Amino acid sequence: MIKITNLKKVYQGRTVLDIGRLTVENGETVILLGHNGSGKSTLLKILADIIEATWGNIIKDENVLYLPQQSLPFNKTVKKNILYSLSGTKKEKEEAYEKVCALLKLKELENKNARTLSGGECQRLAIARLLCKKCDLLLLDEPTSAADTESRRLIVEAVKAYQKETGCILIVTTHIKEDAELFGGRKIVLTNGKLPLLREEEENNA
Amino acid sequence: MEKINEAFELLLKTDRELFQIIFVTLRMSFFSTLISCLLGMPLGILLAGWKFKGKRMLKKIIHTLMGLPPVVAGLIVYMLFTKYGVFGSLNLLFTVEIMIIAQVILITPIVAGQTLSVSSVGAKNLLETAKGMRLSNFKIAKLFIIQNKASLFSVVLTAFGRSIAEVGAVSLVGGNIQWKTRVMTTAIMLETNKGNFSFALALGIILLLISLVVNIIASAIIKQEEEE
Repeated sequence: MIKITNLKKVYQGRTVLDIGRLTVENGETVILLGHNGSGKSTLLKILADIIEATWGNIIKDENVLYLPQQSLPFNKTVKKNILYSLSGTKKEKEEAYEKVCALLKLKELENKNARTLSGGECQRLAIARLLCKKCDLLLLDEPTSAADTESRRLIVEAVKAYQKETGCILIVTTHIKEDAELFGGRKIVLTNGKLPLLREEEENNA
Repeated sequence: MEKINEAFELLLKTDRELFQIIFVTLRMSFFSTLISCLLGMPLGILLAGWKFKGKRMLKKIIHTLMGLPPVVAGLIVYMLFTKYGVFGSLNLLFTVEIMIIAQVILITPIVAGQTLSVSSVGAKNLLETAKGMRLSNFKIAKLFIIQNKASLFSVVLTAFGRSIAEVGAVSLVGGNIQWKTRVMTTAIMLETNKGNFSFALALGIILLLISLVVNIIASAIIKQEEEE
């Protein structure tokens, strides 16, 4: 469960995020919608402990996985990229690798250097590097922005299957309405770093 | 022209002293490059990827030391290791080991500074990606090397180039002793002062050839890395 209270992020004198109250239940899917600069990525980065909030209180699980908007492919083969994120015995790693490879159809790319992949393939790989691990909170920042229709479908299906299996909270940012529909769940529109008043009042009354 | 011919004749002859000078030079350059890289690269990566107290000050110190004059480095090491110095009891003055120490002091800041520049490019993305995957600090540091392999190889080359061409510090602490601490650069200086231009020229040609061979091998490795 995530409980956010009076969260603010001020950057160079400008308030880029200002959330009075927001609660996300275990296993819930939340889609953050909004224009560029609306604070979606900032909220995700704070939840992922990449940046610190200026003030406010967050109660959340520590076991978080986060996909940044520009996830970097490592200078290794696709297979080594995925294995690098794993720990455990060789057998455990191989099992996790095979499973995620099948989910995201990466097997035929396994010996290619990740730097030579197309945008969509890169996003599938970035998702695979996360989904091969377990977590309680999965944060995806624009996970399908560079993907074609087929890759988008694969990514959404893989993420949903992962969430079903692990029961994690899923928070996705996107500005593509079709993707928001595909992921399903509760939709929250951020405007200039703020939640809509109505939504916030509902949260306060909850 | 006559001197150049003599230099080539000298090169073709098996001159024992010449081989000894080459051996000492390579030994000194190899170890000073190795130690400088082992110290400077992690320091550069640490500065590029992690926040800690005193980071800004450390960066300033490194950037200042990058311009440290070799003779000043040599003088400091000399004073520390002279008979009445702090480390005088180690009896290292006028040995190849002290020449390596002096060079490490000179080259480590250069390696650290260049590693910092190389690793800073795309560091934010790399850190966000790696932290998002919950990778350990050790794995993140390794990633900095993996992502910048070719550029870091150039840093190693720069360190080697600086080491093999250095004369001020090594002549001060090494003493340019025949059959012991004489390296190519100090030998070239000595032979030139003596008017023995053929020998100095022969050494100069070898110095250039070594640099050329090292650069050809390095370029091949970098090209292979980039193609992969």
